[in-house]
Amino acid sequence: MTDNNEVLFVGIDLGTSRSAISASNGQRCAVDSYVGWPVDMVARKILRRSVLVGKEALDNRSMLDLRRPLERGLLKEGSERDADAVRQLLSHLLGLVGVGEEGRSGVKVRAVVGVPAEALRVSKQQLRNVMKGLVDGLLIVSEPFAVAYAVDALLHALIVDIGAGTTDLCVMNGRYPTEGDQRTLLNAGDWVDEQLSKLIQAHHAEATISPFMVREWKERAAFVGKAKGPVIVSAPVKGKPTQLDITEEMRTACEGLVPPLAETMIDLIAKVDPEYQEKVRNNVILAGGSTGIAGIDRALQEALKEIGGGRVQIVKDPVFVGSDGSLAIATDADDVDWEKLSG
Amino acid sequence: MGDAMAGADRIRRKLLREAVHENLAIMNGQHPARRRMRREQVKRWVRRGLLLLIPVVFGGTLVLVGRATGLDPSWVWGPGGRDRPAPGKAEVVPLVEPRANVDRADGQLGAARRFGPPARLASAALPLPVRTVILDPGHGGHDFGTIGPGNLAEKEIALDIAFRLRNLLIDQGFAVLMTRERDEAVPLGQRAAFANANAGDLFMSIHVNWIPNQRTRGIETYYLGPTDDPFLTQLAAAENRETGYSFSDFKRLLDGIYTDIRRDESRRLAEAVNSKLFQSLASSNRRLVDRGVKQAPFVVLIATEMPAVLAEVSCLSHQDEAKLLADTTYRHLIARSLFAGIISYARTENAGKGSQLND
Repeated sequence: MTDNNEVLFVGIDLGTSRSAISASNGQRCAVDSYVGWPVDMVARKILRRSVLVGKEALDNRSMLDLRRPLERGLLKEGSERDADAVRQLLSHLLGLVGVGEEGRSGVKVRAVVGVPAEALRVSKQQLRNVMKGLVDGLLIVSEPFAVAYAVDALLHALIVDIGAGTTDLCVMNGRYPTEGDQRTLLNAGDWVDEQLSKLIQAHHAEATISPFMVREWKERAAFVGKAKGPVIVSAPVKGKPTQLDITEEMRTACEGLVPPLAETMIDLIAKVDPEYQEKVRNNVILAGGSTGIAGIDRALQEALKEIGGGRVQIVKDPVFVGSDGSLAIATDADDVDWEKLSG
Repeated sequence: MGDAMAGADRIRRKLLREAVHENLAIMNGQHPARRRMRREQVKRWVRRGLLLLIPVVFGGTLVLVGRATGLDPSWVWGPGGRDRPAPGKAEVVPLVEPRANVDRADGQLGAARRFGPPARLASAALPLPVRTVILDPGHGGHDFGTIGPGNLAEKEIALDIAFRLRNLLIDQGFAVLMTRERDEAVPLGQRAAFANANAGDLFMSIHVNWIPNQRTRGIETYYLGPTDDPFLTQLAAAENRETGYSFSDFKRLLDGIYTDIRRDESRRLAEAVNSKLFQSLASSNRRLVDRGVKQAPFVVLIATEMPAVLAEVSCLSHQDEAKLLADTTYRHLIARSLFAGIISYARTENAGKGSQLND
């Protein structure tokens, strides 16, 4: 094994909405997956930077060509700018743990990156191309596998990773997940935002709202089932800040997630060897940013009653569980394997 | 406790090894091994083997019992043994010469041998159910097919949909074979030869369209026939590029096929598939255009000996459809639609033949 002083292992959870990195030097960081370039000379002069990443980019969005380069957790199709944005984002994340493009000073970086369960091969290859030069070795794994690795649920478990762009479901059977063990759904955080936005616009047609406002409201007050209290937000109506009650809209939008998730969970469990189905039902693990929707675990647990009941738990650290799992994979992999993966 | 930890550690190491192997396969341009499918295939073959073994053991037992008891085995096979029909039953004379297995298994397409002079048969003469489906994911290996935004390749999409469709068909009890199961270039003639050698009852080639006018979108399904449409001629030429056939092979194949009974069956299959594709996809793709059922001389349709269609399941040249194709849910919907088309066709063809297809 190479001396850890010369090698830095990193685990990266590349998310549509938020990306996280955990490094073997003990550092952990999460950033909003936004990258922005100043729109003109004036903006560049004010911002004094050629590119901004994360919250800083979001806060200065009016002066930026702002990109959220990861669609459904993977490189967006179409433009070189988006590929460049992913590179900037990765470079920024690596910089946060001390091994950005500048300042690596001979440190070997070995990275494990989690991608959506059903990512196409071509997308993985694209990611590999984008990361060339940023790291010395790269292992791409499915996100739910990284989560399972982090929480030691590699046998008889169902991982449900509800992110922004996708929800990844994966049954862990003690083997590396194959196509049949995994599903990726587009019913995830962004989908809830869209539904919420439509519902608010339908009920409060006069209010002016933006996707950023809707996302913030959801992150603050998302719930399924019984509301803890009314969800009151402020939005301009004909320019005047106005209080809106969006409790029912929030409930409807969030509860829309439950049926497709429950159906897919049941479908995946039904495909498990009958001998182990009960074990899997009682070991459903929720991860991802959208586990912040209050009551989602109870709603999914309720849905499992259809097939005899089960137990649904949310991981303790939804933001970093994927990157921590990836880091654990990185440190556990043999030096010989890393050599092979350095091509 | 120690055993449990050692077990967990063993699983971790195993999974890590598999993750590394998958990555290396991608780096080397191969498709990761599909362990689960292989295991299922093995199970299927074991089950088939057992089913075959039952009549053999039963027959053998009867013969042995006959010998031991001094009875004439003709009470089992009829006078003269198994070559003669049982008493009281009319002898069945085959309407067409049975296809020799040795011809089918050779894996080579002997065009002259397989296609005699044109002779039209009535479909009623062949009341046979659909059991074996051959799926043909278009392109592969160095042949990417069409490439959409973000390097999304037709070969990847076609293979992904074919795997999904295969699972659906297997669940329904069909035997399914694929002309390719990984990212490899398989010549068109070899694909057809594979379908013929394995006695497929139905052949479906899966492709994604690319139309120069990038505002055009939609689905279309082809069966074999001549065309005067310059676009279709161009499309067929593009798809037929790597055939390996000579011009005279081609001509002989066409002469034999255009009067073939399976052209009617292929048309019915194409209509069923196209209709289900449009019905299902229109819900997710509101502006989807039904470009219809068409005829064109694609080599895989010419050289196969069973009802055969080529489905262009969406347009990678259209920005919205390219986005949809990158989406797992949409690809699964396509697979389900193709499945529904096959079921609809098989149900019609199997009608009154005692087949039990589930809904």
